[in-house]
Amino acid sequence: MSGGIDYSPADVVIIGAGASGAAAAWNLTETRMRIVCLEQGGWMNPAEYPSTGRDWEARSQSDFAINPNRRQLKSDYPVNDDDCPIKIANFNGVGGGTILYAGHYPRFHPSDFRVASLDGVADDWPIDYATLEPYYAENDRITGVSGLAGDPAYPAKQPLMPPLPLGRSGQKVAQGFDAMGWHWWPSDTAIATTPYNGRDKCINLGFCLHGCAQGAKASTDITYWPEAIRAGVELRTWCRVKEIAVDDDTGMACGVSYYDEQGEEQFQPAHIVIMACNGVGTPRILLNSRSERFPDGLANTSGLVGTHLMLHPYASIYGVFDEELDGYRGPHDALWSQEFYETDVSRGFVRGFTYEFNRGRGPVATALTGAFSGRIPWGEGHHDAYRALFNRICGMVAICEDLPEAHNTVTLDPVLRDAHGIPAPKMTYTLSDNSRAMLDFAVERASEVLQAVGAQDLMVESPLSIGGWHLMGTARMGNDPGNSVVNAWGRAHDVRNLFVVDGSLFVTSAGVNPTRTIQSLALYVTDQMKKRLTNLFDAP
Amino acid sequence: MTRTIATDHPFSPDEQAQIARLARLMVPASAVHGVPAADDALILADILHTARSDEVRVRAALEFAGGLGVPLEAAVPRLQGAVEMLPLVVVVMQCYYRDDRVMQALGMEARPPFPQGFEVPQGDWSLLEAVQRRGRIWRDA
Ligand SMILES: Cc1cc2nc3c(=O)[nH]c(=O)nc-3n(C[C@H](O)[C@H](O)[C@H](O)COP(=O)(O)OP(=O)(O)OC[C@H]3O[C@@H](n4cnc5c(N)ncnc54)[C@H](O)[C@@H]3O)c2cc1C
Ligand code: SF4
Repeated sequence: MSGGIDYSPADVVIIGAGASGAAAAWNLTETRMRIVCLEQGGWMNPAEYPSTGRDWEARSQSDFAINPNRRQLKSDYPVNDDDCPIKIANFNGVGGGTILYAGHYPRFHPSDFRVASLDGVADDWPIDYATLEPYYAENDRITGVSGLAGDPAYPAKQPLMPPLPLGRSGQKVAQGFDAMGWHWWPSDTAIATTPYNGRDKCINLGFCLHGCAQGAKASTDITYWPEAIRAGVELRTWCRVKEIAVDDDTGMACGVSYYDEQGEEQFQPAHIVIMACNGVGTPRILLNSRSERFPDGLANTSGLVGTHLMLHPYASIYGVFDEELDGYRGPHDALWSQEFYETDVSRGFVRGFTYEFNRGRGPVATALTGAFSGRIPWGEGHHDAYRALFNRICGMVAICEDLPEAHNTVTLDPVLRDAHGIPAPKMTYTLSDNSRAMLDFAVERASEVLQAVGAQDLMVESPLSIGGWHLMGTARMGNDPGNSVVNAWGRAHDVRNLFVVDGSLFVTSAGVNPTRTIQSLALYVTDQMKKRLTNLFDAP
Repeated sequence: MTRTIATDHPFSPDEQAQIARLARLMVPASAVHGVPAADDALILADILHTARSDEVRVRAALEFAGGLGVPLEAAVPRLQGAVEMLPLVVVVMQCYYRDDRVMQALGMEARPPFPQGFEVPQGDWSLLEAVQRRGRIWRDA
């Protein structure tokens, strides 16, 4: 013990307390192992979320900005995204990205795990939809998922609460899809529409992307973490991990070096290390963990750590309508369309995308949209032009499947460092021809939907430059150690007591938001660990 | 060069006056809509306070506007689309559209979203019937 902290060997150290770290910690509690989670940020106080104050929109550009390079909180580390047309978005603290996520919560489809077999591109996953299905269901129960059963775009699944209201904006967009004869369905969301497990229901604050003061949105600081901590997990906040140490004789991880809140370097010995730092944070720490045995970074004899970065290129397509819509009221995620989800090569690309409805925007965001796009002039014309947009904008984003390409990478920046001197990650990414074709197609079809119901004016951004919020693929799973970093149950091929549970695991990205799958994978990997506790470190 | 500052505000009195002029050029008062201009005393105080947190970029915007060699009024066509002006535009809009009078004129209640929240109607769920009639679209794998 030192300063109240127990530095004796932990059975398990989990790095990162976000979406996946929380699920992994919770699922391992029944083993009664000593579990320590190290998180570089602190706990959130929902009473201080932006929606509690009059400056709610302004704070989305400062301390609640989605881009850490702008936010620059003590918990943040810089990310060099100069060579990436899609800029980083994340949150660092207990809850990780779920503090800011919209809570749009689709599952993968059966076909998403069989991309190579079905479409001849990328790789198949070493697991399938059926393997993950029970973990989806378990994660849904802890998270609390709203939606409507019967979606023809999915195998049967049973949401636990009714869907979010369509509202005026949702009705408008649904009418557009109906006019085209295309699929739409109420979205599955990680937002409580009825009281759920001690959380209150959504009251339509409309500001989910900057923290839910109501506690209706399932961020893991209010779902998994309270239960995990009650069951004995130690969550150590303000602890930034620098590297994982390796015993050069055994080749096993032996503990973790980190900087504590006072900036002192500490060492926590551990028998098992689980990475849950997300698709950028995990390769960063693995690559920074160099040793005699692993000179190119830990678990990286394949040279694949940090490669195959996938981001989901987004297009945003909004229409301006004559009549008043929902504007600033209500969460966005009321409906999705998967009309163009499954491959149809006649469209000029493989794989597909999901449209995620977007309800509207607040008064300041409306003014800035108008000013930046030249729709709202300075001077006399300002007020009339503003009123033509206020509460009259709605539309959707297209979430395009991003194929894994080795040249899209997270590497260590040779110059940039965080406040503790740890090399910052650098993202290098180019948009593929397949993604460009898919984005163009998505913009055209969405425009047709909005015009079919009277959109006068369309606002399009493609790719959406701020949208680097889905970070995937940089420590991919697979059966072949030459083509993957971890095996089919999340254990590093090279290091038999090192596991990955975050979005880095993804083999392919699917065309849906990833977090429900990330958390279900974290439950799956930790279940595999539980089943193998007596021979966890044996050769495969 | 040493900047002479009349108060402890990071922007000099001249800069503060320039911010006020630019704010009014962006958003003048409107009797028709019943709203003040963005250089109204209360809104301006908010703008000057808020601009502190983006001091460097806001000052760069002021220097850009002042460096065009024409009076600000005449420079509006060039200023309103200029990326250099964005930091100041952001601050002015953030403060203007959270003013009680402006929000009320837009039909909003002058309050933060939490804790009352907002009403959103359910909408017409019968629109789903057309989708249900089409049947399954997911692929076996
Ligand atoms: C604005 C925004 C909107 C989003 N909307 C959606 C959505 O609607 N639906 C959806 O599915 N997904 C959404 N996402 C993405 C979602 O947040 C992520 O997919 C998810 O959080 C990733 O989970 P993870 O466990 O991989 O990593 P994270 O949740 O990012 O957690 C990683 C944690 O590790 C910590 N960490 C990193 N490095 C270190 C270190 N060196 N030492 C200690 N701790 C460290 C971080 O502080 C962080 O808390 C959104 C994200 C953002 C930013
Ligand atoms: S809209 Fe609902 S989920 Fe989103 S922040 Fe408000 S209460 Fe929370």
